[in-house]
Amino acid sequence: MLISMPDGSRRELCRDEARIEEILKELGINPEEVIVAKNGRIVPEDEAAGGSDQLKIVRFVHGG
Amino acid sequence: MLGDEKRGRYARQILLFGEGGQKKLKSTLVLIAGAGGLGSAIAFYMAAAGFGRIRIVDCDVVELSNLNRQILHSEADLGRAKALSAFDALAGINPEIEVEAVVERISEENIDELLQGCDMIMDGMDSFPSRYLLNRAALKKAIPLFHGAISGYQGQATTIIPGRTACLSCLFPRAPPPAVFPALGCTCGVIGSIEVTEAIKYVTGKGRLLENRLLLWDGLEGCLEEVAYEPDPSCRVCSHMK
Repeated sequence: MLISMPDGSRRELCRDEARIEEILKELGINPEEVIVAKNGRIVPEDEAAGGSDQLKIVRFVHGG
Repeated sequence: MLGDEKRGRYARQILLFGEGGQKKLKSTLVLIAGAGGLGSAIAFYMAAAGFGRIRIVDCDVVELSNLNRQILHSEADLGRAKALSAFDALAGINPEIEVEAVVERISEENIDELLQGCDMIMDGMDSFPSRYLLNRAALKKAIPLFHGAISGYQGQATTIIPGRTACLSCLFPRAPPPAVFPALGCTCGVIGSIEVTEAIKYVTGKGRLLENRLLLWDGLEGCLEEVAYEPDPSCRVCSHMK
């Protein structure tokens, strides 16, 4: 599974399919601060990902 | 038909959407929520483009630390209400439009009145709780919400159209933890300009809107990306409206 991190770096994660919130926990990312796109589409964090999925973790912003 | 003076002012954009499009802009009433960094870029470009009626709402006063990005205001405005400073700036850039300045905090209590007659909402807020309030109001009134937010070199924008797209709560089901955000005027300019481009496209019926698409701007990388999203069938805000 290829993961695009919030800072733009990329990581390869080899693991069984898991819920996205668990993957975020493993990566040390607070799920409250991000949204996650799986294969180009934003999905809820209870969705599972694994195998050849591509995840993009987006730290969304709130200022104005 | 537009008069000669109006045709002259808008000649270059009439090339894009005709006098018919210009007249549609003229008859549009916009609520600009916030006269800060984003609100400044939004308000200037909407006024210059000839959105005929602009209601700009902000409860704060101009402070020195605002002036790196909040280009509606100048040193002479320090201590003045931002909405009133915005009124003067917009009247200066385009005296042909009607501007209404409201010095109030947007709340559950006043949002219905603030939105009276409005055709769209422009997001120039600086927190998610206030954006959720705009989102609920947009759904209730069935008018579009043009969302934008910034932090430092980063920004995001999308277009929410009730009945056609996911709502803001589908996309961002919970607010991020509150934090002081770094802010650059040029990032506000990028995102505010995208919001106004969306509003112009919506009114004139041109192009492809950012419907169910979140645009992400990374100024440090010089990179613009988009990610798709869709309505959340269990959204606590909009699912019962479908």
